[in-house]
Formats: sequence, structure tokens, C-alpha cells
Amino acid sequence: MEKLKLEIVTPHGLIFEGEVQSVTFPGEEGEFGVLPRHATLLALLKPGVIEIDKGDGKRESIVINWGHVKVDEHGARALVDGAIPLAGADESEIAKKIEEAKELIERASENKAALAAVEARIERAAKII
Amino acid sequence: MANLKEIKRKINSVKNTQKTTRAMKLVSTAKLRRTEELAKRSRAYEAAINQTMSEIASSIRKYKVGGIRGRYFEERPTPEVVDIIFITADKGLCGGFNFQTIKRVRQLIAQYEELGSKVRLKAVGKKGIEYFRFQGYPLEQEVVGLSSAPDYQKAAQFIDETVQEFLEGKSDKVILVHNGYKNMITQEMKQVDLLPIDIGSFQEVEVTSMMELEPDEGERVLESLINKYIEFNMYYALIDSLAAEHSARMQAMDAATKNAKEMVEKLTISYNKARQESITTELIEIISGMEAMK
Repeated sequence: MEKLKLEIVTPHGLIFEGEVQSVTFPGEEGEFGVLPRHATLLALLKPGVIEIDKGDGKRESIVINWGHVKVDEHGARALVDGAIPLAGADESEIAKKIEEAKELIERASENKAALAAVEARIERAAKII
Repeated sequence: MANLKEIKRKINSVKNTQKTTRAMKLVSTAKLRRTEELAKRSRAYEAAINQTMSEIASSIRKYKVGGIRGRYFEERPTPEVVDIIFITADKGLCGGFNFQTIKRVRQLIAQYEELGSKVRLKAVGKKGIEYFRFQGYPLEQEVVGLSSAPDYQKAAQFIDETVQEFLEGKSDKVILVHNGYKNMITQEMKQVDLLPIDIGSFQEVEVTSMMELEPDEGERVLESLINKYIEFNMYYALIDSLAAEHSARMQAMDAATKNAKEMVEKLTISYNKARQESITTELIEIISGMEAMK
């Protein structure tokens, strides 16, 4: 199965790097999925969750506040301001990450309705893990 | 003959100074390591944003996409107002680190004033602010505390104002000057023309297909990306400068410790000599006293 290269970076460091099967970004004009050999695209991202399907049944979710993504046929490169991966060794660690993620989103957005929607997504993403 | 007590006092004082300088060196070494780590992590973002900017620049050249030839890239032949942003440390005791930056800034001021441009200074760091204030040179903007603890949000806030003014046409050129980190023992002056952005400076990369933008108003996407690029450059310069500051201080303190050691050695020798002399004198006094008694 063909894969695409995904890279997610913040000014404070690399958050994710690797080959994935598909990835979903929270675009400004709506969510969009990227599969291998996607057309060249530069998009703005809004607060939300990047969902990564690694292909081997493993999924990963990363909460971001704001950024850009550049997609081309080789892969996707996301430049974001702040990102928190929803992952941890145990439940309490994940719960802590969720709290951090919510805080990140709250700082990024003033729109209460959008905020609630994103928070619901975070909860859902956390359940999948 | 030097007073024995006096020399002893001096030796102790030098030894105390040596203790301080040695401690400062150790602290700087530890801090340098931490800052280097910070810089290393940021470099991932630097590589990514540079790559993205290069791809955009290349596709602009290849497909002649319009719109972008806007304010960000427009080179004005004789800049009327030049903003110079410079970064110095908040603290001293780091050798010529701060002064090198100040010297470069003074050169730039002279250079642009000769061209007839008005130069506005924006200072980050206490040392530079103090210097220009003492010289009576007006500072447009002063920030303290940012160069000793780089923070992305604050750096972005600081530079955004400057970018806004540039876009409004209040300034024609923005130059960023800082003393950067090269390796553990060398610092290097770095001077970047932050604005206008020189589109030719980006590496040519192969673009295979026309780029689509989302949302569709291309200006906004590119503008925000360019803003990010500038903000990040500012932030990275702060980290780079901090790393250089620590390495400069480490060196300065190392030299000071060595000098103190030499000084103690010298003083100890003269102390011993003085002691020997006083013993000799005493002996002579005793002997001559005994001789007189005979």
C-alpha cells in the first residue's frame, strides 16, 4: 500500500514525522482528508484535530491551534503554532493531555460554538485511542 | 617591602573573585547546553518553513502567479525610513558580545544616514538600550527580558508591529542584527534584511504541479504564511543570540578564571618573598644584637 510522508512541526520542535496512510486536517474551509498523490495545495488550518491513520490499524490524533499545511504528491508538511499529541502511556496521562489540548484551543479561539465543537472532537478522538 | 598583611588580603580577594567567575562559567555552560537544545528543536521548523517558502517562490516564478508581487517583496531603491532591530543581552560580563552588535548597528546607522535615510532603532536587551540611551540616540521601541528568555508569543507581538508599519508604508526596510552562535567558542555577527523579502534568496526547487490555495483568496494564505516566516525568524534570532551570549560568557569567565589563577600565583610568590625578607631582617637584627653584646 502506498504511503505519504507526513511532517508536523511547531516553532518549539518536531511533533510528528513518518509515513502514514491517510491524514485529516482541520482546514479553514472545512475538514479535508489527504491520501498519497494528492494535488499540490497550500491551506490554512484552524483550531482542531489532525487525525492520522498509520495504516497498520493504528491511529493518532494531534490537537493544533493554528497553522498552515502544504500538501503535494510526496506528502504533507504542516507548520503549526502549537500542537499537543493525544497520546500517553496510561489513562491519567491521556486525561492530562486532553486537558492541555482544551486549554490550547481555548487560548486560540474566541468563538464559543466552534470551541465546543472542537472539544467534542477531542473527546471523540481520545476515545478512539 | 610590601606589607605582608596587604598581600594576604589581596590573595584572598582574588581567590574569591575566581570562585565567582568559575561558578558563572559553569552556569553558562549548563545554560548554553539548554539553549542549544532549544535551537536544535526549532531548526526542524526552520527547515520546514524554508522549504515551503522555497516551493512557493519557485511556483511563483514558474507559473507567474500574480498578487504576491505585493508589498512584502517590493524593494524600494532609496529607503526613506529604515528600521534596525538589534538584539543584545540583558546582562554584561560576556566579553565583547554586546559591543560587537552595537558597533555593527552604529556602522549601519552611519551608512544609511549617509544615503539620506531616517534610521529608527528598535532595541531588544538592556545592554543595547542602556548604550544608546547614554549616547542620547532615540530608540523607537525598547524590550527588556526577551533576549534572556525567548518566547514565541512575545517575539511575534514585537515583530508584528514592525511588519504592520512596513505594510502601511511607514518604513521601507527592516534590518535585523544580532550576534549569533557559530560554535562553542565563536560567535558570528548576523545581519538579515527581514523586509522586504528577497524572493531570489530562496532556493530553486522543482515544482511539478500548480499550487492550489485554500481558502481561495490567495493573498490571505500567503500573507499569513509570510507573517509566520518573519515571526519565526525573529524568534530564532533570539534563541541564536541567547546561545551566543552564553558561549561568549562562558569564554569570558574562563579567561577571567585563568587570569585570577595566574594572579594568585604571582601574589603568592611575592608573599613568600616578603615573608622571607622579613625573616632575614629579623635574623640580622638578632645576630647583630648578639654581636653587640660580645
